Amino acid sequence: MSARTLWANGLWTQNPGLVQLLGLCPLLAVSNTFENALGLGLATMFVLVLSNASISLIRSLVPDAIRLPVFVLVIAALTTCAELLVQALHYPLYQSLGIFLPLIVTNCLILGRAEALARRESILVSTLDGLAQGLGFLWVLVVLGILREALSDTLILAALPPGAFIALGLLVALHRVLQSFLRAQRQTTPTEDIASRRVRTTGDVS
Amino acid sequence: MTWRLALFGLISSLVVGLVYVWTAPMIETARENARLDALFALAAPLLKDGDLGQPTEIRWPDAPPESLGASSIVTPIVHNDQWLGMVLPVQTNDGYSGPIKLLMAIDRSGRIVGLRAIEHRETPGLGDRIEVRKSDWMLSFNGLRYTDLAPADWAVRPDGGQFDSFTGATITPRAVVSAVASALSYLEQQNPTMEWAP
Repeated sequence: MSARTLWANGLWTQNPGLVQLLGLCPLLAVSNTFENALGLGLATMFVLVLSNASISLIRSLVPDAIRLPVFVLVIAALTTCAELLVQALHYPLYQSLGIFLPLIVTNCLILGRAEALARRESILVSTLDGLAQGLGFLWVLVVLGILREALSDTLILAALPPGAFIALGLLVALHRVLQSFLRAQRQTTPTEDIASRRVRTTGDVS
Repeated sequence: MTWRLALFGLISSLVVGLVYVWTAPMIETARENARLDALFALAAPLLKDGDLGQPTEIRWPDAPPESLGASSIVTPIVHNDQWLGMVLPVQTNDGYSGPIKLLMAIDRSGRIVGLRAIEHRETPGLGDRIEVRKSDWMLSFNGLRYTDLAPADWAVRPDGGQFDSFTGATITPRAVVSAVASALSYLEQQNPTMEWAP
């Protein structure tokens, strides 16, 4: 898997927030302000990168039967570390994130990446994937946070959980529209491209 | 297979333990700073005329209520060696999840000047409305003395009292109201002038 596909997947084509729709609970609950969104996004990214890396590191030592308990163990340990670190480095953030910080354990994005990728791929690929997916989750969280914080003064709905649902729905829709637009554009142009690179018969041409 | 799982458990706990040992002093300072910030904010009305004094430990005589405990570290607000009031910790274990730690500032007539929750783990969106930044509920205590209300009024509305309760979360406000009421009534009985200076 090339680094470029990993980045593209995490940030856009397979974005955890907009396409895979993973980790919706924290995404909706903590996106009420920019600061909260950034804080939780960074903490999630921290856990995701390290869990991907360590799971990839121990992948040959873990028999299939105890795979899930070990993964959950690793993720839980890392989340506890993240909680302690946030508490030590930025106490007000710890206070305002509250229960959602330890709840990173249950973010299905993290176990999802461990299952889907980190247990098969090399440590480099897994770390990179953690970075890309974490950043993809982070930017959606931050955009939601900025949107909701900016609108909450004029539109009370934006500050409330239903507002988060609606805002996320609009973002998903926007992503779909842009995605199909991009795809349509790609389909109209590449004819000459293929002709000029006739030698290459396998793999992605684009 | 079992020992492998146990080994992974051991390694994970070791990592968590190391991070804990490393961060513990930092967390302690951060907590202390947050507590001091809350203290200044709470005692603000009293600090117009006085200054924060040295924190003092007071051993409460004659069966103090659970909300105060056997002794408390109290921060007085002093002016010319006179106590204008004090900030003291109040705690309750009757919340929905874990202890709720409050900080209460009272003047020397036993009137509440300010009340804040400084540590709690109540449910987000329900019980966490005891936080001042989420709801004004905590401010409904301001300016009250224990004798301002009938003892039965020191309860949440569903229990026939004076204080609003939260939709879907009665346990949290009930715990806070009863902790504050028991602490205030004890203080008022013990020492009506609130002159606790040792």
